[in-house]
Amino acid sequence: MAVVEDTREQFIRQDGKDKVTGLGRYTADLARTGMLQARFRYSDHAHARVLRIDTSAAKALPGVFAVLTQDDVPDVRYGGFVEDRTLFAKDVVRFEGEVVAAVAALTQEIADRAVELIEVEYEPLPAIADPEQALAPGAPLIHEGWAGYGGNEDVVREGNDCSHSSIRKGDVDAALASADEVVKERYVADMSHAVPIEPRAIVAEWQGDKVTVWTSTQVPFIARSGVATTLQMPEADVRVVVPHLGGGFGGKCEFHFEAHVAALARAARRPVRLVFTRREEFVAPDHRREGQVLELETGVMKDGTIVARRARLVLDNGAYAADAPFFPQLAAMMAVGPYRVPHVSVDAHLAYTNTTPSGSVRAPTAPQSCWGLELHMDAVAERIGLDPVEFRRRNIVHPGDETATKQVLETIAAAESLERAVEMIGYGRELPPDEAIGVACGWWPTFALPSGAHVKLHGDGSGTIVTGAQECGTGSVMALPLLAAEVLGMRPQQFTVVYQDTDAGPWDAGASGSQTTTNNGRAVVEAAIDVRNQLLELAEEVLEAARADLELVDGRVRVKGSPSTGVDITELAEKAAGDKLLLGRGSGSPPASPDCDISGCTGRLGSESFLAPTFMTHAVRCKVDRATGVVRVLEVAAAHDSGRVLNPVGANGQVEGGVAMGIGMALSEGSQLSDDGRQLNPYLLDYKLQTAADVPEIRVEWVGEPDPTAGPNGAKAVAEPPCVPTPGAVGNAIAKVAGRVRCLPMTPMRVWEAMQR
Amino acid sequence: MSATYTAAATLPEALAALASGARPVAGGTDLVVGARQGKAPLPDSLVAIHGLAELRGIAETGGGGLRIGALVSHADLVAHPAVRERYTALADASAIVGSHATRHVGTLGGNVMNASPAMETGGPLICFGAEAVLVSESGERRVAVADLLTGPGRTAARPDELLVAIELPAAAGGSCYARLEYRRQMEIAVVGATCAVTLEGARIGSARVAITALTPRIVRVPDAESALAGGDGGAGAVQAAGDAAAAAAQPISDVRASADYRRAMAAVIARRAVTAAIARARGSSDSVPIPASPALHGADRD
Amino acid sequence: MRYDAVLNVNGTDFPVEIEPHRSLLSVVRTELGMPGSKEGCDDSECGACMMLLDGRPVNSCSYLALQADGRKIVTVEGLADGGELHPLQRQFLAQGGVQCGFCTPGMLISAKALLDQNPAPSEDEIRIALSGNLCRCTGYQGIVRAVQAAAAEIA
Repeated sequence: MAVVEDTREQFIRQDGKDKVTGLGRYTADLARTGMLQARFRYSDHAHARVLRIDTSAAKALPGVFAVLTQDDVPDVRYGGFVEDRTLFAKDVVRFEGEVVAAVAALTQEIADRAVELIEVEYEPLPAIADPEQALAPGAPLIHEGWAGYGGNEDVVREGNDCSHSSIRKGDVDAALASADEVVKERYVADMSHAVPIEPRAIVAEWQGDKVTVWTSTQVPFIARSGVATTLQMPEADVRVVVPHLGGGFGGKCEFHFEAHVAALARAARRPVRLVFTRREEFVAPDHRREGQVLELETGVMKDGTIVARRARLVLDNGAYAADAPFFPQLAAMMAVGPYRVPHVSVDAHLAYTNTTPSGSVRAPTAPQSCWGLELHMDAVAERIGLDPVEFRRRNIVHPGDETATKQVLETIAAAESLERAVEMIGYGRELPPDEAIGVACGWWPTFALPSGAHVKLHGDGSGTIVTGAQECGTGSVMALPLLAAEVLGMRPQQFTVVYQDTDAGPWDAGASGSQTTTNNGRAVVEAAIDVRNQLLELAEEVLEAARADLELVDGRVRVKGSPSTGVDITELAEKAAGDKLLLGRGSGSPPASPDCDISGCTGRLGSESFLAPTFMTHAVRCKVDRATGVVRVLEVAAAHDSGRVLNPVGANGQVEGGVAMGIGMALSEGSQLSDDGRQLNPYLLDYKLQTAADVPEIRVEWVGEPDPTAGPNGAKAVAEPPCVPTPGAVGNAIAKVAGRVRCLPMTPMRVWEAMQR
Repeated sequence: MSATYTAAATLPEALAALASGARPVAGGTDLVVGARQGKAPLPDSLVAIHGLAELRGIAETGGGGLRIGALVSHADLVAHPAVRERYTALADASAIVGSHATRHVGTLGGNVMNASPAMETGGPLICFGAEAVLVSESGERRVAVADLLTGPGRTAARPDELLVAIELPAAAGGSCYARLEYRRQMEIAVVGATCAVTLEGARIGSARVAITALTPRIVRVPDAESALAGGDGGAGAVQAAGDAAAAAAQPISDVRASADYRRAMAAVIARRAVTAAIARARGSSDSVPIPASPALHGADRD
Repeated sequence: MRYDAVLNVNGTDFPVEIEPHRSLLSVVRTELGMPGSKEGCDDSECGACMMLLDGRPVNSCSYLALQADGRKIVTVEGLADGGELHPLQRQFLAQGGVQCGFCTPGMLISAKALLDQNPAPSEDEIRIALSGNLCRCTGYQGIVRAVQAAAAEIA
């Protein structure tokens, strides 16, 4: 049984009233006195040498206050893994959305006209849109100077292969040779996007040598580092503030355009605001979901035992590395899946192409890899004549099993998630014509990162949590008061949260990697314990009792076993307000990665073992219109192991939203590219999100036990896992009616084409 | 910005503005969105016609037809009993334009004059033999909608003419507009088909079939019509009509579909429109509007 | 050239002087200082900008401000009755209908337009009515629950 907290009083998120009344402010809602509007001039080619840039006509336009190119900013190459990027194009443009110049002007209309007046002369170069072509021998180099780039030394790279990772376990050749059956298949997933409904916006304003940047980022501290690095200033002089954030899903991770706007504001000597259009949101940021080519080969015995997996994955990196170099290792782990596979050989490559750069989007690599693997699993089951659920049952990991990197799994409930999901949907029942149930299993790690928080109790007994954590809508920051209240025997409503301001909160990795509850939760608990100790010290004097005999319950410190002897926390807080203030600090060491053995493997970038892994199974019932290939998802059952579930309304909301995103990825969300790497559908009419009318009822249940290696009291990741198995489950349902569709998204046309074969 | 704007209070005011070069705007659905997407800048001179009472309302004509004001919204069309009962294909089409906001703001006149090859109401209007009533300072003229639509974004109307109403002649029998729908809402026609039939006893009397988004302008398919007229309306005739629709298509390949898929779907969607039109003519109380993929929608909720 | 107009937003008349090309959304957000309605796309596809115009839902990003002269406009800022939240607002919070909140203003307006017209909608009618409002966080389930709960409360 999963531990699902009963929060008793209904917990309404603190930012809720702001959001339903329209009075809360998002970045694009902000205005500063004298504020100018920015616009970027983008590359006119997907790949070209820049021969000349002439900004004189733009500068001469009345109302234009600043026009910047790479010549106007420090000559710095940056990048977390590979330093392959400059703020503005330098010598070469490598994708259609590369920023060549930026303008700040009195009005948006003037800025729009000014960018058109910038003259750029190019020498077009051959563009590569296909990642497999990019890795072919003799392919032109997308970064001629790749070998000279600095960065993380653990990234294994060569030419257009921006990051290579492999897993080797046992003897795959021998195991495949001895298998009863070997199934080899190929799957291709198109690039897709995070599509937060808020397009990004940035406002920058200088006071002397300090700059404040209000920005719609998921990662304020990483944005701060980016500004400091590229504009060569101390981090202490950069303050990043995030007003309400209108969703991110990874698309607003990493440092993007904060420095461009700060540089414009400095040059213009005025505040500057940049607001993206939806088209820019698709084309310009380096954070779309990467396309994948998966070649999967599995050896299996007649009894359904998997003996070997060989795989080659090619991931489409786009023109710059961003945070994608850790993807190959993650994708390789995903290509093995939550199954016992004794002999493994997986190679995963991240190929530079002349397309919009990829980067972390909600569970990066996982939904696509899981889709390919889970369709492949059904194909293997079919080959040996075994029911696909039974086939999974015989191979899924249990506590004590070993992963491909020889990590021994401990507190996991993968098998329970499978059993629960198929039970919820009624797997095996009679269905009307053209309906089928598909099942897919997935897994995803919990990430350990440094994080910090302060907890203060005020003279009236109310409290403030000051955190570096970022709220991107999931409610994970909004739930922090639950943790502090639990430690202090208070009510969550007694706490407010100060967040999203790098001048206030300690460092945090932001709303990425589903890490907030795990890591910032740990920090908040530690800070609250600090305050609790201070309260106990005060109470010892007041109650003349030993600390060990005291407990904090219902807003009082009281003597254990004698509940009527106690003192209100408010009384202690009032006392402290005139003396030694109640201030708690917390950080705590991130939990260590579980042991593993990766001898013979390459590209070690942190995902070689999975801390507190989460497991999930989705079972979906679909109906296929056989004449048109249109698919409707009619029902979804999702069973998740995320350890202890802290805030059930919030956690269920993550699964419901993740499944809807997964259905979109399955059926309708994919970018189409021209031969030279331009997106052909960068707008919402033809990049189709699922609407309220398309998404069916989603039923969610939690399985598993608190994981002692995870966050507060055993909470594992929640936000990313829900989109992982959905496309695979939908694909397996479609396959039963229409045959296997080997391209993602499985659009009506592709389903129809599969039926013509 | 030198743009000018007038909100016309009367029809003569609007016509005077058009005569001096202004472009009309009603709901702005296509015009403003088009400008924002960079398809065509907003005209320098605009005359807003949303306040013209003369362009509102749906009225019975003497001959048993309907006169629909150009400002009638898609939502009003769907809700109107006479449209639902006698011009059912037009209700089908109006019910699936954009979202409910688009259907409240978007007008029949705007949909027609935007002349998109993918416009939903075009096929039904052509099959019903609708006439556009165009008015200018020099008078009124009537043009069949089939002749009004001359190409993508082009009409036979002069710049000084305002579409004030669409007139539908009396109709008997049954009709349907069906569309290929990737999502249940918020779609644009990738393939659409209209069919209107009358009955003579148990047999089909006359038949009209039009295809949408498959040719540079919405056209009727005479071969499909002759495959149906006088026949029993059975599976063979329906199949033949669908094949004729596919043969008449001049599909393109783009982000929405390949030409091959569009051609195959032309047959499928035309068959669905024909089947539903015949069933309705024979008294079926099928839901109005018809869901584009009847097998898929609605059955699993409520 | 600028033109005088009076926009009645949430019961208050605002005299403005605006150019013809300005959208209702941009005027309400900037000149009128009510940025509750959001801009999420360029082509009437997301619904974050939805307002009521004479009681009917309109994507204000694609509606000319001058055409709203003299007409009644309701935005998300006008839903609450003083300090008292509208049942829809309360239920969006109670039922998990709000996460990032960016679609919420348009979603609430869309839901109000529906309930004003159809006080007891079926689940499918709710889903069809809200399909012009894209939400990326919730999977719509909390939103649909909220509209159902609010409808029950208002009835």
